[in-house]
Amino acid sequence: MAKLTIENTARVVEAYIGEYASGKSEMAINRALELNKQGRRVTLVDLDTVEPFYTLRPIKKILEEQGLNVISFSHEDAFGLGETGAMLNPRARWALRHEGDVILDIGYGVYGAATLNLVEGIDECPELKVLAVINQSRPMTNSHERTKEYILSLGRVDGLVANTHLGNETVTEVVLQGLNITKEVGEELNLPIVYMAVDEDLWEEMNQISVSVPVKYIKKYMPGAMW
Amino acid sequence: MARITEQPKKSFLTGNETVAWACLAADAEIMFGYPITPQNEVMHYWTRLAPKYDRSFLQTEDELSAGFTTCGAVQAGKKAFTATAGPGNVLMQEPFGMAEAMRLPTVAVIQQRGGPSSGTVVYSQQEVTLTTFGGNGEGHRIVYSTATHQEIYDYTIKAFNTAWKYRFPVFVLGDGYQAKMREPLELYNPEDRGIEMVKPYPLIGLGGEIGVDREPSHLCNIYSLEEELYEVVMKVSAEYESISPEIEEYEEKNCEDADIIILTHGIVSRAADDAVKALRTQGIKAGYFRPITLRPYPAKQLREAIQKSGAKKLLIAESAYGQFERLTKQEIYGETIQVEHLYMPGVGIIDHDIITKVKSIL
Repeated sequence: MAKLTIENTARVVEAYIGEYASGKSEMAINRALELNKQGRRVTLVDLDTVEPFYTLRPIKKILEEQGLNVISFSHEDAFGLGETGAMLNPRARWALRHEGDVILDIGYGVYGAATLNLVEGIDECPELKVLAVINQSRPMTNSHERTKEYILSLGRVDGLVANTHLGNETVTEVVLQGLNITKEVGEELNLPIVYMAVDEDLWEEMNQISVSVPVKYIKKYMPGAMW
Repeated sequence: MARITEQPKKSFLTGNETVAWACLAADAEIMFGYPITPQNEVMHYWTRLAPKYDRSFLQTEDELSAGFTTCGAVQAGKKAFTATAGPGNVLMQEPFGMAEAMRLPTVAVIQQRGGPSSGTVVYSQQEVTLTTFGGNGEGHRIVYSTATHQEIYDYTIKAFNTAWKYRFPVFVLGDGYQAKMREPLELYNPEDRGIEMVKPYPLIGLGGEIGVDREPSHLCNIYSLEEELYEVVMKVSAEYESISPEIEEYEEKNCEDADIIILTHGIVSRAADDAVKALRTQGIKAGYFRPITLRPYPAKQLREAIQKSGAKKLLIAESAYGQFERLTKQEIYGETIQVEHLYMPGVGIIDHDIITKVKSIL
């Protein structure tokens, strides 16, 4: 097989990993749309091997309408298949062959970065950044020690995304407390906070506060996915 | 007793994870289970938590075995539970029947999925009949139907106490949406809320001499004589009926002057709550009634709500084709209120669906 070489070093390749329900899909969608708005060509990949027919499927069309190339099973593909076991979407395997940016949503969260082995050419991809999404309100990552232990279990991690929230009950204190702990753990493990994610509804309050990491305001798409 | 949190803390969880944390907080010692969507993460999280808190887990070869091993563990005095869904719930009805017959304090969490048959993993409320009356017996069991993650936490903890206090099998009835959905809730240690956990005790291998030191412990699910079975079932029925008023739970809002009462259970109650608020702002006198226990059913309270309101109509909304309606009708037999329904099997119900239906029938 011809070795995959990537000439265009300017392209963005990010893989979102982390605890189940930590916000991986939400981060991946928002990041893909952000890049797309800059006029870039973006492929968003649903790499959930445990529940492959559920994660992005219900909102695939909405995301495609916004200009993303979405590699995910569609309603038609999934019809009648239900929970037919772990399955790799063949298009996901070849995702890096797409031109432009590639954002990988490593769904379900059980295997950490190991799932990336399923993507052809991933080891030869110099742009790849593996980002671990951390929500300090998740009980398994709700303290310094637990977060550290969890990150160390993930395999390769290049940076952290601080995504502490409580759904519709999120207030800025929760976000900032979460950021502090995530930052401390990051410093200890020598991992940068690539950005902090904050619900766009908190823009007004958060905008008054200065924080030492980049802030991305996110729009929530996953409540529309229901599952 | 392990403290799961230093101070009450809001956390962001899926419903399945909430079950695992609640079982931990309730001092459950062992889970028996077999994988099935949408309850898998109950097992995943229990197996992640168990080693850290010195608890146990056994994955059995199927749901029959998971049910029976739960029955066995509680007889040995272990606080044990299982979780399942759909066809797993069908298979577990045999052990659950045994639990009814032998008065075993089993706890089972059911995350309802679509049916009939095996492969449908999506949300529904189609396991109401199965969970309330699925055994080859009289339905001597207690079923809590939850609506929020906080309730999943609260009622899973309560389920253990109800089981060990009254010695009937107890069920927490959720569904695929509650299982997978994420929302904030407060995790707490039961003792911090003044909740005393009933201590488990062995039902077999007891000390002392039978007839001298203690009564015999009859744990029997085989009766060879008709008269013997009759006697036992009549005795257990009477006991179940006598404790029912202590166990029945419900939620009622705006029924005093209601022209129409909306009756829902489980997650659909959230839509009904929103619908009633919206209808009230539009000048439509809607009321809200929700049984929290489906077994025993708070029939007396529902009858009272109907009577005091003078409502002309009762709208039953469910993500099933009439299972909740059948259960309700048998419980309120004789009421003359007109019963309407909104059946959406396998489909989520939102406030808009209920509002539209109410307007079409008023």
